[in-house]
Amino acid sequence: MESKAETPKKILTKKDITMLAIRSLYNQAAFNYQRMQADGYTLAILPMLKKVYGEDKEGLAKAMTANLAFINTNNYAVPFIEGLTASLEESHESREMIDTIRVSLFGPLAGIGDAITWFTILPITAGITASFAKEGSILGPLVFFLVYIGMFLMRIPIAHLGYNAGTKAITQINENMGPISHAANVLGVTVIGGLIASYVQITVLTKIHIASGHNLSIQTSFFDRIFPNILALSYTFFLYWLLKKKNVSPIMVIVITFVLALVLSWLGVL
Amino acid sequence: MNITLLQGILVSIFALVAGIDFWLEGFYWFRPMIVSTVVGFLLGDLTLGIIAGGLTELTFAGLTPVGGTQPPNPVLAGIMTVVIAHTTGHNAATAIGLALPFSILMQYIMLFYYSAFSGFTKKLDVYAANADVKKFARLVLLPTVIVGITYFVITFLAVYGAQEPMKQFVNSFPAWLNHGLNIAGGILPAVGFGLLLKNMFKVKYTAYLLIGFTAAGFITFGNLMPVAVIGVALALIEFYHAREKDETDKKMRAIEELALTGGGEEDGI
Repeated sequence: MESKAETPKKILTKKDITMLAIRSLYNQAAFNYQRMQADGYTLAILPMLKKVYGEDKEGLAKAMTANLAFINTNNYAVPFIEGLTASLEESHESREMIDTIRVSLFGPLAGIGDAITWFTILPITAGITASFAKEGSILGPLVFFLVYIGMFLMRIPIAHLGYNAGTKAITQINENMGPISHAANVLGVTVIGGLIASYVQITVLTKIHIASGHNLSIQTSFFDRIFPNILALSYTFFLYWLLKKKNVSPIMVIVITFVLALVLSWLGVL
Repeated sequence: MNITLLQGILVSIFALVAGIDFWLEGFYWFRPMIVSTVVGFLLGDLTLGIIAGGLTELTFAGLTPVGGTQPPNPVLAGIMTVVIAHTTGHNAATAIGLALPFSILMQYIMLFYYSAFSGFTKKLDVYAANADVKKFARLVLLPTVIVGITYFVITFLAVYGAQEPMKQFVNSFPAWLNHGLNIAGGILPAVGFGLLLKNMFKVKYTAYLLIGFTAAGFITFGNLMPVAVIGVALALIEFYHAREKDETDKKMRAIEELALTGGGEEDGI
């Protein structure tokens, strides 16, 4: 009994955890509706499991099978879950505990990960680089490319964070989850406001005939004087209302936009 | 301008790479900003590619694959916007609408794959139960290979195979239709932003939306950096405020508990 406690606990090296982060690229390799990312997730952690279980084929089979249970989370949160479960597998915690932690983590981390990566970082990066690209400047795509190389490299410290923090991290995440996602939302919504003003272009061409030779342009003498881009904001909110309150599909919203643009341009309004 | 066989093949090879990148969500080479730029370069019109990239990127800003949903395909949208503008001579804003059918076609193919690839799971379960690592790895990677080949084939057919009928079709449009498509291209980013708002907006965030909107409307600066900095400042204020509130709440709860248990002991005495 004594000798079992003395066996060295650390089997995984720093390099193993870094490899775990890089292999998180496999996460969606076999994405399907039945269990979403589970197959790719298991492939990503396979070398780690092999190293931990060594000659224990039965243990490896059990671990592989357990990890094939449904998982669907944000791809930048995956390295964290991988690192955390690696530290648990390494210290041979019970299968139930490892599985429970993985399953209970992926949902909340998906929420916070999506809020930060898809709804905050992407619109900001797209908005800023598009303003360069609009002018035909290579700086647009170049900055975009570099930002996402950086985002990929972030997976490495995220995996180490999960591994080093272990279960302690869960309480820490739970404590900061609320304030972080709230702050990410504030940043995201502010930038979306800016994007609407900068990139949605609606210009009314209709002119009101006053006297011979005197026309009043609705756009320049009405909308632009009251509030520039007010049409863009109104239309975006109309779409938001359709999407959120009426549950209209994105494709349908695109179709509606096209039909409106074509009809109104045919009538000479836009 | 025509697309040569070599250009068709090169664009299709890039589509294979970008398609796999989208499947894995790796380096974001699948975003229209990168896709259109590379395709523009391959067709010998880099500037067109960059401009189309910026425009298409904004339209697709809200069309995200969050939570396993499949949006209209950004790779095909990025490719076809440049290809259509290049071959027909129309500007990028007009071409973006004409590229959408290709984007939606690819979206439906991917949706089909999401269902079809469920068929591999049974076999994977067997390999896992036997700890057959090699066969397991090969089968997990098979869908990625299938997806890559699909991107190559579809792109080649759309870019090289269909260019002549495509050109004739687009050139037969009357002037009002071209104008209408151009207008639609200018409004389309609203779809992306509407989708972003659907995911992020709550009534309590109205103030921030208005601040961002007003700042961008009145600050005359080449890009959105000032708005992003204002956003970061507001986010920092809110973060510290929310954390302080959490801590105060916790302390209050601790004091309440202490008072309650303390009260209980007194009663016991």
